[in-house]
Amino acid sequence: MVVKVENLVKRYGDIVAADHLSFSVEEGEVFGLLGPNGSGKTTAINCILSLLKYDSGTIEIFGRPARPDDYDIKRDIGIVMQNVAVYKELTVYENIDYFCGLYIHGKNERKRLVEEAIEFTGLADFRRFYPRKLSGGLLRRLNIACGIAHKPKLVIMDEPTVAIDPQSRNKILEGILELNRQGATIIYTTHYMEEVEQICSRIMIMDRGRAIAIGTKEELKQMISLGEKITVETFGITHSQADALRALPNIVSVECKDRMLVIKSSKGRNNLEAVLECMKTHNIQYGRIYSELPTLNDVFLEITGKDLRDQGV
Amino acid sequence: MQVFKLCMKIARKNMPLMMIYLVVFLVVSLVMTSSLAGEQKVEEPFTRVKSKMAFINEENSPLVEGLREELSKIAEFVELPDETEALQDALFFRKVTYILRVPEGFTGKFMSGEDVQLEKTIIPDSAGNVYIDLSIDKYLNAARLYIKNIGGITQESLVSRLQEDFSLSAPVKMQAPAGRQKDQSYARFFFNYMAYSLLSILILGITAIMLVFNDKGLRMRNACSPVNATSINVQFMLAGAVLTVAAWMIMVMCCLFFNLENALSINTVYFILNSFVFALCGSSLSFLIGNLAKSQDVASAVCNVVTLGFSFISGVFVPQEYLAELVLKIASFTPSYWFVRANNKIGEMTKFDLSSLMEVFSDMLVQVAFAVAFLGIALVAGKKRRYLE
Repeated sequence: MVVKVENLVKRYGDIVAADHLSFSVEEGEVFGLLGPNGSGKTTAINCILSLLKYDSGTIEIFGRPARPDDYDIKRDIGIVMQNVAVYKELTVYENIDYFCGLYIHGKNERKRLVEEAIEFTGLADFRRFYPRKLSGGLLRRLNIACGIAHKPKLVIMDEPTVAIDPQSRNKILEGILELNRQGATIIYTTHYMEEVEQICSRIMIMDRGRAIAIGTKEELKQMISLGEKITVETFGITHSQADALRALPNIVSVECKDRMLVIKSSKGRNNLEAVLECMKTHNIQYGRIYSELPTLNDVFLEITGKDLRDQGV
Repeated sequence: MQVFKLCMKIARKNMPLMMIYLVVFLVVSLVMTSSLAGEQKVEEPFTRVKSKMAFINEENSPLVEGLREELSKIAEFVELPDETEALQDALFFRKVTYILRVPEGFTGKFMSGEDVQLEKTIIPDSAGNVYIDLSIDKYLNAARLYIKNIGGITQESLVSRLQEDFSLSAPVKMQAPAGRQKDQSYARFFFNYMAYSLLSILILGITAIMLVFNDKGLRMRNACSPVNATSINVQFMLAGAVLTVAAWMIMVMCCLFFNLENALSINTVYFILNSFVFALCGSSLSFLIGNLAKSQDVASAVCNVVTLGFSFISGVFVPQEYLAELVLKIASFTPSYWFVRANNKIGEMTKFDLSSLMEVFSDMLVQVAFAVAFLGIALVAGKKRRYLE
């Protein structure tokens, strides 16, 4: 067990940022903390890193209680902050060298690790650049390089892809998977469900400081009643036509909004054929049509009644 | 020593900004050096000047001639016609400041011991005239003494004895030549000016480092590292101390370079000691500003307001003796005032006994008190800031 959190409670006055939070992270996992802004992800991370004092609960890292002065544990942890935290007075190389130097004392070893981090994050062409000259994506990559240069066993990433372009995001996500392949355990927080679906082996969904669901993405999707969502572009539909669709087996809801017909089924993943047949039978004119399996947003929606996307930045 | 090295790098990055204040200091020093260099050479400790007087003698006698000779040592005689209007004009137009008339029959009556008086017409409130009066009194009183004690003494013998008496002089040695005082005031200027330039350099340098270390994200990142907080703080303080001492040493060397003549005087030692105490106070103030400022722009603005404000009211740019009492009272709430005050005292010091030094040390102690107060407020402000974050 790399990280074990039990009954963590952290309050800011009347607000409960972590409400009896319990979870564990196994070695070699990419563990995702998914939740809207203000759900307590960063609070949980800061408590794990001993940056925050918490009201109650226990946190263990590598089987030992997490303490601010346990520097042996800290040596094996890499942190990538939500906000880019680098020195604007130092170049890309100097920044990575500084943060690596906090962990690694040997000059030659440090030099090697810094070069590897630069290579890993694709910053080789920018090593002499000052941060103010870098784009948002490159800055994020520098932020990651500073956190992982010392080759930690546990990497904690707090929303490392906020406000960057899709190309940079993909590059970063590929890098995280590569880190994981190299043996690092990763805790990854985000409010982008696509990211956790893409890279996380296990996911914890958080809301209002509580863990509302934990499991693999498949396990999470199994938890809800929604089996398939079919979206059809229509050119007008009558009540009787809608009722005919509702009468189909497994169909739980039919809604039409802005000429888009959304048909949700409770079970099964092959309802499309039956829906098409029904539409032909009842003369429903349609254009584009596509079918989706449930997403984590659907999981969040069903559990909390809120849309995860609406909560994001 | 990663943190220490980082602090030094940040300080180096801000070097151009700090250098501006050093250059300003050097330029002002050069201007002062060239303008004061000429003045120093013509200064003499004491110059004797003679009052201009008219000596109207209505009788010629050895005694009166002796008096004239004695007065010629301190006065310059101007020949005037013995006419009332001409004499009055001479006084009005300051051709003379003193007219002495020896009336007819004066010598005979004086030698016989009768009470006689010389007639004088003077410009009032003239210090030179008092000196002439004293000389006349001295001459005549000495003459009366001889006449009273040596019966039948002749005028020639009397004048001879008086001349012999008045030729005696006591050697006078100046303990504190005014020329040296001038030199110290010159050194005093350079050290006083440090209240502006050194303080500016320290505020800019230390706040630049502080602002970086007060960044929440960076602070958290450092806190996650295996370097313990005490070590980080010690390295940070060490960097601040190195920066303070380096800036102070450069400024002191500049002061000594521009005032080489007095570099080895005892006054200089106290000037340097006082400037070191001020440097400590300055670094403490910088620490406070660094904890309060939220950006480098704010820090620069505060730096200008603080250094210029302190300097104007504390006697750095305008000597304290020209400043109003109210201004000085307000200035006494700034360390610069006590620094300048101590410098002024050191500049005037000729004796280095305990009582003289105690006055200087008490001013230094006030600066130390300021340093402790600034540090205390800075620590509280820093803690509060971190709490709010």
